[in-house]
Parts: sequence; structure tokens; C-alpha cells
Amino acid sequence: MTGDLDTDVAVLGAGPAGGNAALGAARAGLRVALVDEQQDAGGQVWRAKGKAIRAAPETPESRAGSQLRALIAASAVDHLADTRLWQIERHGPAWRLGLLQGGEPVQLTARALVVASGAREFVQPVPGWTTPGVLGLAGATALLKRDMVVPGAATIVAGTGPLVFFTAAEIRRLGGHVQAIVTPNTRADWMRALPAMLVRPDLLARGARWMADLALSGVPIHWGHALSRVIGEDRVVGAEVHPLDSDWRPAGPVREIAADSLCLGNGLVPSIEAAQLAGCPIRHDPALGGWVPDADDEGKTPVDGLFVCGDGAGIRGAAAAAYQGSLAGQGVARFLGAQVPGIGPRHLRRYRRAAAFGRAMTALSAPRPGLSSLIDDATVLCRCEGVTSGALRQAIAAGATSANATKSGLRCGMGPCGGAYCQTAVTRQIAVSTGRSEGEVPPPTARPPLRPVPLGGLAGDIAYEDLPIPKPAPL
Amino acid sequence: MSAPFDIAIVGGGIMGCATALRLADGGMTAVILDQGDLGQGASGVNAGTLSLQIKRVALMPYALRGHREWQAMGDAVGFHRTGGYTLAFTADEAALLQERQALKAAAGAPISFVSPNELFTHEPHLARKVAAASFCAEDGYANASLTGAYYRARLSAAGVPYRERQEVRDISRTQGTYDLVTPGGTIRARRILLAAGAWLRPLASHLGVDLPVRARVNTVSVTERQPPLLGSVIGHATGLLTMKQKPNGTLLIGGGWQGAGQPQDGRGQVRMDTLRPNLALAQHVVPALAKARILRSWTGFEANVPDFYPLAGSLPGLEDAFVLGCVRGGYTIGPYIGKLMGDLILGRELELPLFDPGRDFERTDP
Amino acid sequence: MIRLIPDQSRRIRRTAEVTFWFDDAQIPAHEGEPVATALLRAGQLRLRDAPTVAEGASAARGLFCCMGACQECAVEVDGAVVEACRLEAVEGLRVRSLGRGA
Ligand SMILES: Cc1cc2nc3c(=O)[nH]c(=O)nc-3n(C[C@H](O)[C@@H](O)[C@H](O)COP(=O)(O)OP(=O)(O)OC[C@H]3O[C@@H](n4cnc5c(N)ncnc54)[C@H](O)[C@@H]3O)c2cc1C
Ligand SMILES: Cc1cc2nc3c(=O)[nH]c(=O)nc-3n(C[C@H](O)[C@H](O)[C@H](O)COP(=O)(O)OP(=O)(O)OC[C@H]3O[C@@H](n4cnc5c(N)ncnc54)[C@H](O)[C@@H]3O)c2cc1C
Ligand code: FES
Repeated sequence: MTGDLDTDVAVLGAGPAGGNAALGAARAGLRVALVDEQQDAGGQVWRAKGKAIRAAPETPESRAGSQLRALIAASAVDHLADTRLWQIERHGPAWRLGLLQGGEPVQLTARALVVASGAREFVQPVPGWTTPGVLGLAGATALLKRDMVVPGAATIVAGTGPLVFFTAAEIRRLGGHVQAIVTPNTRADWMRALPAMLVRPDLLARGARWMADLALSGVPIHWGHALSRVIGEDRVVGAEVHPLDSDWRPAGPVREIAADSLCLGNGLVPSIEAAQLAGCPIRHDPALGGWVPDADDEGKTPVDGLFVCGDGAGIRGAAAAAYQGSLAGQGVARFLGAQVPGIGPRHLRRYRRAAAFGRAMTALSAPRPGLSSLIDDATVLCRCEGVTSGALRQAIAAGATSANATKSGLRCGMGPCGGAYCQTAVTRQIAVSTGRSEGEVPPPTARPPLRPVPLGGLAGDIAYEDLPIPKPAPL
Repeated sequence: MSAPFDIAIVGGGIMGCATALRLADGGMTAVILDQGDLGQGASGVNAGTLSLQIKRVALMPYALRGHREWQAMGDAVGFHRTGGYTLAFTADEAALLQERQALKAAAGAPISFVSPNELFTHEPHLARKVAAASFCAEDGYANASLTGAYYRARLSAAGVPYRERQEVRDISRTQGTYDLVTPGGTIRARRILLAAGAWLRPLASHLGVDLPVRARVNTVSVTERQPPLLGSVIGHATGLLTMKQKPNGTLLIGGGWQGAGQPQDGRGQVRMDTLRPNLALAQHVVPALAKARILRSWTGFEANVPDFYPLAGSLPGLEDAFVLGCVRGGYTIGPYIGKLMGDLILGRELELPLFDPGRDFERTDP
Repeated sequence: MIRLIPDQSRRIRRTAEVTFWFDDAQIPAHEGEPVATALLRAGQLRLRDAPTVAEGASAARGLFCCMGACQECAVEVDGAVVEACRLEAVEGLRVRSLGRGA
């Protein structure tokens, strides 16, 4: 393979978690390769501004990101940017990673692996959610941070947890117009979360400012409501909004709001496929966003030489991700017989405090069961293959009672996204229909490649004569 | 305690399911137990090639009859009779192909050789480097992903219960009845059929029988939807490539390249050092594939015994205990050999002989 | 109106403009800007048509996850499928939509 690399520690993901894990391991004197498909380190939360932005006002996120990027640049960490990890293999004690760097295959061999793959969002499927103009809520933050472009001229920001308010505030900061905020959470939900939030007065103050700004500017906030239908054929022209009961089931009269764009998201789900490919057992923990790799606070897993940290190990938020990254850096260093200077019990305490805050936000963001009833039979669940909820219901009734079975029978989750954007809703529906808990319906088996990759990129430049052809099978 | 079943079938792959249907048809009460989902093993993840050109000579009569079964199963399994070409790119490969296809044709497979012109007229996207090509109009494919859904429907219609996520952890026999221990309780049956694919060895050991079953870890990959590139099933003289384009435009690429892992450890793993040549070979054959994106690669366990012939018959030294597995090209042959197995258990006369699991595996003929 | 969150859009400095092709339309973009973002600014939300559509549903699809994971923004460049949210605009780039007829 062209350009094979060798290192002590391979880290997947240059977000707060992976970035800090890499920095820690490097400070312990280990050789570290940090792999990320983005151009710059920072991950989702501290995403760097894109190439088309020359200068822009700083934000708390951009400052934190710049700091991490500066530390990485000044360190001995080998940052493999714009590099996609597609495969993870175990060869004896070593890890062998399949990377794609600018279309070229590269193999990276490492003695230990830290998976800090982050999260993706759960977007509650509703009728019309595939319409162009509907952005994921977290996805919109990428557009706002990287491109500094707002989703449209009049945007409805809908969903759960703090991200709705962050996104709305960012849209306003970048000159956009927020038509309305629609959130299933109630003010009472937020009041209940308040004690947990007191540990972060900075974030509390920032949130208060967002709320006051929205109030002063007259942006309507529909508390206890859900966006229940997207209106528009080939582009968004508006949305229907429903009041919800305490289980988040629609109850009460529907109202229509006009808009040319929507941001819609209902919390985050750990991206566990890389950990699964590495052989890590998973367990179900709703308080951490669903299925998570089995790991302790330091990110140590039952698999020798495999560590996980950050949102990919359970949704605990950016601050906890950074601390857990440092702890995992320490863990992986110790595993290789080295020591990270300056990481101690203080770190663990800080991590736990940040994680408690993050878990409170995860709890606010997690959809309640009634929200699923926004799906009707014609609602598309698997966007890639166009599989509807009705089709899934029929397949389950015909005996497909696992995620692997609905995948095989219906192609649900077999498209290019690999099920990333449907499996949460699919396994939820299987669980409900078969009277099991979500924890009894595991996600489908993870398969490489972790991202679609061009066949030519994998095949590389092997000549026909060089193909290792074994002797033919018996006649 | 409820009445025992006439037969308990361990393994809900194509072998277990096809046999169960025959037995139900013959009036027996059967139950299928699978550790996962029906069709989650080799039968649901294989490449789905139904090709006489890659079958063993001695298995040709079974494969020919298997093709008829698939034809009858039709749309419900995504069956397509497309015809298939097997390609050679070097003089050595061409000689190998000539020699092998002659023997297979003699065994009854309608295989002929075609000129490069004819080949490229039908398959214009193939690389113009082909040295020789054989053709069989009987060849085609079915969609292995549908195995589970298909047999669930057939078994339900036939009144055969199946229990998924019920691993058989132990088997014992008391007073003429087999007791099968599963997480959901003990299942009792007068007879037992082991159809556990690559997991046969540990299963048979519960009955004190040592079956020399080993597993190959075959790799398959699928591309994103492509514009029309292939109309027929494509194979390689060495057997190291099978390729077909599904009606939805995706291409399935197999060829038995070996991944890693053991059946008892769960699923196998794809290996880059075999996946890459597998894909390079595919690209050599259809150069336009270079830009196609691979969406998924996976492996499945294909069981065999040292002589590479099936295990199909009574378990040596036991009464009312049977085994069916280790069939090369078992997806193709499964629906037919399952019927034969059913006939054996029902005490009927067999259309073709089965393969004694008590034989000496070091010999080369069955 | 009092704003506690000031509008900072005017303080953003962007790279020079280039144009690229999306099918037959010329689209302006800042150099290095993701193609999907430039298309969004140009009001071109429908990036491709999905290959399989449920009855009565529209096939139109556009930018969704913005992070290279969902594949909804897939477009074709030089015969290869790439994510428009990760594809940088350069002068004269030819981008084709997927699944929109011809
Ligand atoms: C789209 C999105 C936007 C978010 N925005 C915010 C926000 O504005 N504020 C906030 O507080 N929280 C936000 N979050 C939550 C976020 O998860 C943070 O809590 C934080 O970024 C977590 O840090 P992390 O290091 O664990 O993961 P991340 O920051 O997500 O970092 C993971 C990194 O791994 C890389 N990666 C993953 N898989 C591969 C692969 N196969 N190959 C190469 N690279 C790979 C990704 O590119 C990413 O940079 C967002 C989440 C998402 C999904
Ligand atoms: C990747 C791959 C590609 C292939 N390509 C082709 C092809 O193109 N054409 C072709 O004709 N053939 C092909 N084959 C071969 C063919 O798939 C197999 O011969 C056939 O499917 C075997 O069927 P089976 O029922 O014996 O085994 P399986 O389908 O593996 O079924 C065995 C079942 O037993 C269950 N089981 C095991 N242990 C227990 C237990 N203790 N308790 C309960 N259940 C248990 C398993 O869960 C499994 O479902 C391929 C095989 C593989 C792996
Ligand atoms: S918008 Fe999801 S991959 Fe581009």
C-alpha cells in the first residue's frame, strides 16, 4: 500500500476528546497519529472556520478551538487531517487502520487505539423531513461555524435541549431571521435542570442572554411543542406545529408557521461503529444517548489496547469530552508503560462534574416515547432507501424482529449512510412493536467501510500479475 | 409437559428451513431453533450466485435441480436468470477454464465457449483483456438478504414454528426423546436435525459426535447504485471473483477472499489484505468500477469438511439424529438438498443419493 | 430594536468569488466554500433526487447533516460521487446532480 505509517497511539477524532487524548499521549513521549476527516482539529463543537472565511469575530467555541489547534500544532502529534478512517483490524497485539487520504489508501499500524469518534444527531422523523431546506439542528451549527452562512431567510429552529437556543442565537448573530423556536421541552423541564447547571455559571449566563435576546426581539418560543410536519414539495415553505402532552404525544390544535428553512434535531447519539469494528462490546444506556461502548471513566474498554472517550463513549458534552480525552490519554500512556505528567485525581473530579452537567443536557435532549407518534405510515424512516414506517411495521409483523432482519428484508439502513440516520428510529419501532425494551434490540452489525469509499481508492494500483491468486478449489 | 415435536431442527439457514418445509409437507411436526435470526448465517450474507459454472462436478446433478427450485421461488427471493460468463485473462487461466468447463458440461451443465466479440456485445463494460470466456444460460442470482424474510413467510404458511435468538446450548437424549436446552426453555423432539452451518462441530459434540467441520471466512462487498454496467453474472476462471449488478443498480462483488475470525467468536472480520485484491480484480474486469463507492464489505462463514463434500445423512452411531451442512455452493443447492434430506427423514425413496456423514473424510471421492 | 446578540455578519471577511457549474446553472461561490453551502446561498436546495421514493413522496433531497455522514448531499464530479458539503468550490468546477433524469 502506498505510504504505510507506524505509530504508538492512533487516535480517531480530533475533537475535544481525541485532541486532548492525543496531546496527553504525546506529552508522555509516545508517537501519536491523530486522524480526522475534517481539515482542522476541533471536532463538532469547536469546528474551525472554513477555507472561504478570511476573518470573523471570535466566539467561545472558536477560541477554544483555536487553542486546541495551536496546542496540537505545537506538539509532536502527527495530525492526519482530511483523512478518513474506513477500517479497523487487529493483528496480534497491533491495530491496523485503513485510511483514505486524498483518495489514496494508507495503512496505519498502532500499538494502541483511542476512538473519539463523537456523536451524530437524532432527528425525529416526521412527515416531510426529507424535504430540501430541512437541516439537522446540530448540522446547522456546522454550517454556521464553518461557513458562517445561515440556513435561509426565515428559519424555524426546532428540537430538544440547549442546541435549539444555541443555534437560534448563532443564526441571529450571523444576521439571519429566526421565525420561531419550537421545543418539546417546557420551561418546567429547564427549571428542573437548573440545579445541575449551576456548576457552569458561564454557560448559564450565556443561555440567559440568548433567552433575553429572543424575548426582546419577539421571536416566538413554542414551549412544549413539536414540529410535526414539514410543508413543501421540493423545498420547505413551512411547518406544522403541535402542542405535546407530558409524554410528548401530540395533543391539541395544530398550527402552521411559514418558513423557508428548518433546523430539526432531538439530541445526539454516540457514533459507536468504529468502536464496534474494533471489537468493543456495547451496552444500552438511555442516559448517555443509547448504545455506548463498554468503558470506564478513563475510557478503558474490555478490549486490550482500545480506549474510547468523548461523545462517542456516551453523550456527556464538550467539556466532559475534553477531560475524558485527557484521562484516556493517560490511560493509553499507562497501557504502553508511559506516564502523562500532570494528570491526576483533580482531572477525574473535573471530568465527573462536567459529565454531570452534560448528562443533564442529554436528559433534556432525549426524546420521550410519545414523540415517535409523529411518524405516520407514509413517513420515510430510512432516507437512503426510501423505506417508510408503514413498510417497516409490515416487515416487523411478518417476523423481522431485529435490526439486522429489517435491514436484510427491507434494505432499511443498507444505503450510503449505513443506517446512521435511521437505526435509532428503526430499533425504537421494533422494540415498541415487539414489546421489548430498546436495550433488547441492538443496532445492526457494524461493517466497514465506516464511510463510503471509492473502489479504486481501496483497490489502489495492484497489477493483475501481482494479485495473490491461491490454487483453484477442488473440482 | 407438552408433546414432543416429531423433529427439532437446529439452525435456521437455508438447509434447516428447506428441510423443515419438506418435513411439514410430509406431515411431521417440526420446530426450527436459531441462535440469531433466520438466515443470519451464510444463507443470508452470501453472494447469491446461482451458477452451474462454479459448481463441483460431482454436485452438478444437485445444482441443476437446485436451479429449478430457485426458478420456482422467483421474485420472493429476488431470483434472476441472467446467464453467466466465466472469464480467463491469461493463457494458463484459459487452459484451466477449458479443462474444467469440459468436465462440467459432461456432467450436464449447458456450458459453451463464446468469442470475445460475442462477449463484448453482451457485456460492453468488461475490460478488453479477456483471453477466453465460457457461458451458461442457466446461471443467475438471487438476493440472499431475503432468505430470512422468505423462509419466515413460508414456514408460517406451512405452520412450522421457528424460534429466533434461541441458541441450543446442550442436547441430551432420554427415553427416545431429544432435549434441547435453549434460553427460552427446553425443547423436546423425537428426532433432531443439525443444520447449524459453520457451527456444526460444537453442536454435534453435545451428542458426542466429532464432525471435522472447518470454516472459510468469505468476503462480499457491495457498491452504491451504478448506471448499467453488467447484465449477467460474471465469474473468474479461478473462482476468485463473482460479480453481478442488481436491478437497483448496486453491484455485489464476491469470490471467496478470506477474512479473519472464528464462528464461535461471532461474526468474522473483513481484512484489507484480501479485500483490496478482491476489489482490484473486480476493477480489472470492469474498469468503470474504479469510481464506484463501496458501501459495505462483510464476511460470512462457509463450512466444509476435508473432502469438501456435503454432510447429509444420519449422524454416525445415533438414532433419529441427522445432519445437513457443508455443501459447497450450498445456497444454490440448499433448496433441493433440503428436500432430499426431508425425504430421507420421512423414510421416502431418494431421487439422488445423500452424503454419509460417517464416511472417511480423507478419501477424495464422496 | 434592542439586540443582546449583535448582528456580526458584516464583520465576516470571505475569499474572492469564483463560479462553478451545477448541471447547467452557473453558481457563485467564495473560493474554498463547500459547494453545498454556495448552492444553498444561491437558493438551490434540491441537490439530488433519491433513487427510491415512497408513494406520493417527493424525491427531492438536499443538505442535511452538513458533516459528511448522511450522504444526502451527494453529487457527481468527474464521474465520482462526492459529498457536496465537503467539496470545495474552485473556479470552473463542474458538478452534476444525481438522479435528476439524464
Ligand atoms: C453536527 C454536530 C454539531 C454539534 N455542535 C455542538 C455545539 O455547537 N455545541 C455543543 O456544545 N455541542 C455540539 N455538539 C455536540 C458534540 O458532540 C460535542 O459535545 C463535542 O464535539 C464532543 O466532542 P468529541 O471530541 O467527543 O467529538 P467530536 O467533536 O464530534 O469529534 C469527533 C471527530 O471525529 C471525526 N471522525 C469521526 N469518525 C471519523 C472517521 N471515520 N474518519 C475520520 N474522522 C472521523 C469527526 O470528523 C470529528 O471531528 C455537536 C454535535 C454534532 C454531531
Ligand atoms: C460469504 C459467502 C458467500 C457465498 N456465496 C455463495 C454463492 O454465491 N452461491 C452459493 O451457492 N453458495 C454461496 N455460499 C455458500 C452458502 O451460503 C452456504 O453453503 C449455505 O448458505 C449454508 O447454509 P446452512 O443452512 O448450512 O448454514 P447457515 O446459513 O450458516 O445456517 C446455520 C444457522 O445455524 C444457526 N446456529 C448455529 N449454531 C446454533 C446453535 N447452537 N443453536 C441455534 N442455532 C444455531 C446459525 O445462527 C445459522 O443461522 C457462500 C457462503 C458465504 C459465507
Ligand atoms: S449533508 Fe450529510 S453528507 Fe453532506
